[in-house]
Amino acid sequence: MYRLIIKELFRSKVVILCMVLVAVLGILGLLIGKQFLDRQEVTTEQVADYQQEHIQRNVTYHSDDLGLLLYYIKFALINEPDKLAALSIGQSDVNPNVRQVTIRNLEGQKYDTDLVNPSSLQAGNLDLGFVIIHLFPLLIIVLTFNLLSEEREAGIWPLITVQSKSRFYYIAKKLLIRVVAVLAIYLLLFVVAIMLLQLPVNTTLSAFFLLGMGYLVFWFTLSFLVVSFGKGSSYNALTLLSLWLVLSILLPSGVNSFLTNRYPVPEALETMIDQRDGYHKKWDTNKRETMEAFYDHYPQFASYGMPPEEGFNWLWYYAMQQMGDDDAREATLAMNKKLEQRESASRMFAWVLPSMHVQLAFNQLAGTGQSDHLRFLEATDRFHERLRMDFYPKIFETQAVSSVDWESLQPKIYKKEPTVDWLAVQLPVWGGALILLAVSLIRFGRLRHREGW
Amino acid sequence: MRKEIIILVARQFWTTAFRSRAIYPLLLIVVMLLGFSGVTGWENYKEQNEIRQHYQQKARESWESNPDKHPHRMAHFGTFAFRLKYPLSMFDGGIENFTGNAVFLEAHKQNMVNFSEASLSTGLLRFGELTLAMVLQTVFPLLLFFLGFASVSAERESGTLKIMLIQGAKFREILVGKTLGLWLVALVCLLPVLLMLGYFLVGQEAADPGDVWTRFAVLSLVYMLFFMVLSIITVVVSATSHKSKNALIKLLAIWLVFVVLMPRTSQALGNYLFPSPSKVAFESAIEDEVVQKGDSHNPDDPYFKALKDSVLAAHQVDSIEDLPFNYGGFVMGVGERTSSAIYNNHQEALLEKYGLQNTLTEWAALINPYVAIKQLSMALSGTDFSTYLDFQEQAERYRYDLAQKMNELQMEHISPKKAQGSEGKEHVVEHEEWSLVPDFEQRFLSFTKVIENAWLSLLSLLGWGVIAVWGIFYMSNKVTAV
Repeated sequence: MYRLIIKELFRSKVVILCMVLVAVLGILGLLIGKQFLDRQEVTTEQVADYQQEHIQRNVTYHSDDLGLLLYYIKFALINEPDKLAALSIGQSDVNPNVRQVTIRNLEGQKYDTDLVNPSSLQAGNLDLGFVIIHLFPLLIIVLTFNLLSEEREAGIWPLITVQSKSRFYYIAKKLLIRVVAVLAIYLLLFVVAIMLLQLPVNTTLSAFFLLGMGYLVFWFTLSFLVVSFGKGSSYNALTLLSLWLVLSILLPSGVNSFLTNRYPVPEALETMIDQRDGYHKKWDTNKRETMEAFYDHYPQFASYGMPPEEGFNWLWYYAMQQMGDDDAREATLAMNKKLEQRESASRMFAWVLPSMHVQLAFNQLAGTGQSDHLRFLEATDRFHERLRMDFYPKIFETQAVSSVDWESLQPKIYKKEPTVDWLAVQLPVWGGALILLAVSLIRFGRLRHREGW
Repeated sequence: MRKEIIILVARQFWTTAFRSRAIYPLLLIVVMLLGFSGVTGWENYKEQNEIRQHYQQKARESWESNPDKHPHRMAHFGTFAFRLKYPLSMFDGGIENFTGNAVFLEAHKQNMVNFSEASLSTGLLRFGELTLAMVLQTVFPLLLFFLGFASVSAERESGTLKIMLIQGAKFREILVGKTLGLWLVALVCLLPVLLMLGYFLVGQEAADPGDVWTRFAVLSLVYMLFFMVLSIITVVVSATSHKSKNALIKLLAIWLVFVVLMPRTSQALGNYLFPSPSKVAFESAIEDEVVQKGDSHNPDDPYFKALKDSVLAAHQVDSIEDLPFNYGGFVMGVGERTSSAIYNNHQEALLEKYGLQNTLTEWAALINPYVAIKQLSMALSGTDFSTYLDFQEQAERYRYDLAQKMNELQMEHISPKKAQGSEGKEHVVEHEEWSLVPDFEQRFLSFTKVIENAWLSLLSLLGWGVIAVWGIFYMSNKVTAV
């Protein structure tokens, strides 16, 4: 029986074409992911080389003034992506994974975006995540929309009635074979991914794999539910495609529009102006005021005292720079709060929208979500603080340029260890699938009862 | 072809289309989508522009409030350019969510345009953006396919097609009539969208009302054309399918390939084939070249030493203190000119790379009317890549002029004796000068420029119109009644 059903399934050219198409696009997605990882790796190397050369050059030019030298030198903090990022590139194409900062005020340097082609950003990444979230459901629809209606419309339904013991089992078998076929492609893509990207097989990958699988099962149960209404092929195809359009495009993008309008972020623009005015306007006020504010922030430096009111002095200069950050602080906190609000609101909607949940959870597992970026920015804050705490005393004491071991100043690596919250990751899709399965079994029961089979 | 028959067929299409009860919930959903996206588009446009104008003004007030000071301090004080949205962006967001909105303009340095909506988004933006244009481009085709997939095939299945032909109608007339009927449904749905948009646009015409309304008119026309192409495709597919079910499946497949798969895949392939440089590589290449040319900050730099000697010789003096102008301002002017030229060259090369990445998608318009309308709609709504580049150029030009203006003030008003440094209350320029510098004022591309940029998409859409009309006549000789 199974053999016949399999034969029947693969006789259709459309079915084979769709399967091949999804597999090919999945592999293209993996290649794109690989290119993304390779690019990040090259960038990391470039940054290391660049920093070396950049520091050497500036040290030779400004060998007699440490304050001036550190005005120029940029230090890099690299956000090393998890290899899973190749499967779900998420927000890491907009947000650069390298921050190069001088010890001057951070707010003016922190938010620099990456160099990317906006047209490509708009089209979106074709990563494995996209293939799973958008294309696999379409394949499932193609495979299941005529699960029941096919036989009816071809007029062989009475034949099956006579020949098989239970028509329900016959349909269940047909469905099962389709599930196995789709999951086989899904598994194949992961095997290719593991080999191509040398992914470590660990908890995060398992969670990722299981989540995607739950999502596919969810779509199967949804299809099954629609089929269980016992309507014709055209009706099913249209209903399922509309569901796909609503669930994986219209609702998520509608939610996004809603959140964008609900939580606008004017604070972002506020920070830009605040940090500039906070620093630049100090050139025109008296030095004492600036220094007092600076020593309020860093009492440990109070012993350097007050610089003369006339003339230029690095202690005063860096105190002014610090005021840029301090004055923008309020706006920055407000901006972060807005972003957190957007994030938590999205998560709330995601509980009832599987496509959204899977996208956000994929990004989270791969470390490419918005919150991961915010964590990286926090790491940048700490990195910048540490640099200043190291260099401030040296500059204020006008130490010689040679007193610093410049060779040792390599780019720093930031790496976040992903944690998996199993329940929150898996429950929305598996739970949804279970509910739908129960409902569709009940519907099927009714259909059987009504039609007497 | 006889007009009466065509009208008769079109009218009959209407009555059958609206007889099915399934269409009403569908129409309701589409209307709700249009209402939602229209209102959110308008709110977003209004709110964002208010925010940006507010900060542009705040930045300006801050600039003007500066006391007397050394002009080089002002060159570093700098100002901002906040990108304004074109009124029609409420209709089609285009790439705007992915482009930066604010840039700091200061001397010596071309800063990134930051804070794109995408960089502040939770990642949901990748599902697309719900705008009026998106509904018209992706949901409307499905609606038309649904309304029209059975238009001819059902008549054939029920045998009424034969009867119509026997009664004297020509196949060609039936196809044209059905198309017209379907197209009219689309136009009737489009009308309230245009009315709503027009209502929101009144009073938002920005600097050039003529331009906004011309774009609006052309936008309306191209969407009408797009819907005509869709209607013809629907009717032709229906006419060539033996069963209505097959027609529907074919149309859905067309939708999937043309709307979902092709645009993303073509862009992804473009990126894959023509990788662009990383930011670090881009910036370090510029830095290298600037240093090679000469570092105006390096006192021993041969280029700037030679420059100094030649300036001293030309004015027949021995030291820069004896020059009739401030030498620091002069050197910085030269430095700004050379470094800007180098930056612009690299920027151009980068944009060429992006252009290459976009070519596959642009040429896809020739075989995909969806891509054509998408590109055209963005261009007319002022939310395409060229519009963004134009903003970037305007900001950079303003930045350059501002820096050079400050260098000129330094040359003119600062004593040649103040060779270095810019702090302190002596050697300053009076603050009245600051308000004399004009503020950054963004201008939008003119209508002719927009059409120049989008000619390929416009041409392909027109081409599609011609092919579709030809197709319907060609098909009417090919298909059979049974």
